[in-house]
Amino acid sequence: MVLFLLLIVPLIAAAIAFAARRRSVMEAVNICAAALTFLLALTLAGSILSSGTVSAMSDLLYADALSSLVVLLVAFVYLACAVYAVGYFRDDEKSGIFEDGIVGTVSIGKLREYYALTPLFVSSMLLVALSNNLGIMWVAIEGTTLASVFLVTYYGRPNSLEAAWKYAIIGGVGLSMALFGTILTYYSAHTVLGTETLAGLNWSVLVTKASQFDRTTMRLAFILILLGYGTKAGIAPMHTWKPDAYSEAPVPVAAMLAAAMLNCALYGLLRFLILTSRCLGPEFASHLLIIFGLLSMGIATPFVLVQHSFRRILAYSSIDHCGIMVLGLGFGGPLGVLGMLLHMTFHSVTKPLLFFCVGNIQQHLKTDQFRKAKDGLIHAMPVSSAVLLMTTLAVTGSPPFSLFQSEFTILRAAFDGSHFVPAVLFVTFLVAIFAGFLIHIARLVLGPDPGVPDSETCVWKKYSLVGLACFVVLMGFWLPAPLYALIQGAAHIVNDVR
Amino acid sequence: MHFYQDPQFGERMITLMAALVLVLQIAMVAQRWLVTNIRVFAAQSFLLAGIATTIAYFNNAPHIYFVAVLTIVVKVIFLPVLMERLVVKIELRQEIKPLINVPLSVLISGALTILGYVVAESFYHPEAGTTPATLGHNTLAVAIALFLIGFFMMLNRRKALTQVIALLSLENGLFLAAISLTYGMPLVVELGVFFDLLVASMVLGILVYRIRETFDSVDVSKLRRLRG
Repeated sequence: MVLFLLLIVPLIAAAIAFAARRRSVMEAVNICAAALTFLLALTLAGSILSSGTVSAMSDLLYADALSSLVVLLVAFVYLACAVYAVGYFRDDEKSGIFEDGIVGTVSIGKLREYYALTPLFVSSMLLVALSNNLGIMWVAIEGTTLASVFLVTYYGRPNSLEAAWKYAIIGGVGLSMALFGTILTYYSAHTVLGTETLAGLNWSVLVTKASQFDRTTMRLAFILILLGYGTKAGIAPMHTWKPDAYSEAPVPVAAMLAAAMLNCALYGLLRFLILTSRCLGPEFASHLLIIFGLLSMGIATPFVLVQHSFRRILAYSSIDHCGIMVLGLGFGGPLGVLGMLLHMTFHSVTKPLLFFCVGNIQQHLKTDQFRKAKDGLIHAMPVSSAVLLMTTLAVTGSPPFSLFQSEFTILRAAFDGSHFVPAVLFVTFLVAIFAGFLIHIARLVLGPDPGVPDSETCVWKKYSLVGLACFVVLMGFWLPAPLYALIQGAAHIVNDVR
Repeated sequence: MHFYQDPQFGERMITLMAALVLVLQIAMVAQRWLVTNIRVFAAQSFLLAGIATTIAYFNNAPHIYFVAVLTIVVKVIFLPVLMERLVVKIELRQEIKPLINVPLSVLISGALTILGYVVAESFYHPEAGTTPATLGHNTLAVAIALFLIGFFMMLNRRKALTQVIALLSLENGLFLAAISLTYGMPLVVELGVFFDLLVASMVLGILVYRIRETFDSVDVSKLRRLRG
């Protein structure tokens, strides 16, 4: 029942927003739907912790600790973005970014586009995590692309069209590879299960028989899945759509792409990784994952160092974090997988905050270029700038913050598995990205007072920022015990290679 | 027993149609006119529906008939009509200008076909008895070749709409693989895939239209402003 409601609530919100004529109605519906989704996600997590797995609709929907964790993170990011979006779009409207600038039909139409498509996007992300059938999961992942393409073209600029085109085409080709991988997995299981029924693609059935699958087919299938869902997650060298889509989409959408959709793509990869490890043993996947993880981090590093736009730098940070997570999976073992899942959790909590700060600054400066911004932004925007500085430290993995813990866990996993060369490269890239980020952000934020008055007046933007910032700080010192139990449960599912 | 009930006959029909599908794919690579390209795609999809029907008939798998009908409705009628209308609407210059010239492209497609056969060979275990793959041996090779040639076409073309056609023909390769390896995926999944295909084509169509309006061209090589 909870599973069903989780999928339905955002859909209803989308329908209401589509029919709504007033901005306040759309805002209220969106926030309510987000809050309700988050509560449902908490309920689901609670029942998973107490009773193991949940399934519904004749096993079509299925949730264990792993899917529950992803659902929880998606719902959290949705809630944070829903609150932030109110202030963000009100400011957009005021600044007259929608061609005619008159408050009226055009901007309401635009808002409707956002408030109707975002819940659809969220609903398909939740379906990714909740579907038991690997084919339906593919359909849902493709659905996330389709629901978000027009969110990327939201501002209708030539650049946003270019970004959306790259996003749709690269995503489409990537996912066609993933579909081929899914077909091959079905084929390799086909001979074992010997059924033509729907259950032949159900993960909960496949996982029990994975050790008997056809090995040659499974090997090819995993490579295709890694390339396919890797494209969607933005692993290098299939990452090229990411900087464009992240910098052209409205900030709440970009935050959702970076913090929620990334998890869904990696979740798809994880489900197949479990099957592959059971069929072929962990070594085969491990080598591939380490190579792709290091490649992503390595490609992100120079682009962070020489970046000229503070929106695009976030995309490269996201590629870097995706690389870290893939690397954690590659190192494997109990520590590697735990580190990866912790990193996924902390990243989803911290990344939206970074996007929100940068969004506020971009709306204030009306540019996303570092060189067009005057120094000393902290005097004109004390809250956003201070939080941005803090979040930069958090995202790059400085000690008091939670991402340090997960990165350190992954590093320990590397030494445990005697992957010394990748470990050295891992640390090198982390340090380089830390330096690059800090140079750029510090130059933007700190400096002498240019004498501009404090311009932060929008309470929605200000307090959504402060609230989330408190949460990020709190997570650095205290990880709630049930959440940790959920993460451990998820890690156990991935590691349990019999 | 009539000849049309003989499984041997069915197998030959499938192999023949799969070969024709491959020929059409290479014809698409060589074909310079956009509208013809769309029609070749429709013909290719029609043959795929034929393959699906034959498989459904000889294996008593009624749900594949449904998939075949869906293929005809979506890929043979709806999408080609939609694309042709788009071509008329945006007054596209009718010629496709590939990056690599036609003779070399056809040669590359031939090489990709051989690669398809090499890959498919690794799936073929005659000692394992009559698994579905014994039927699909040739067909799988064709499917992989379609997939690879589709990739090549996407890289080789500059106009937005021609890339969409290439993506759709790549999808045809996947369809053929699914149908020949496992007699199609479960029906719910097939439905979902068709739905996604439909929505994706419409989304891409709208994007092509907007790109044309904004850039006054559908040449994606002009989309070069976002760098670094």
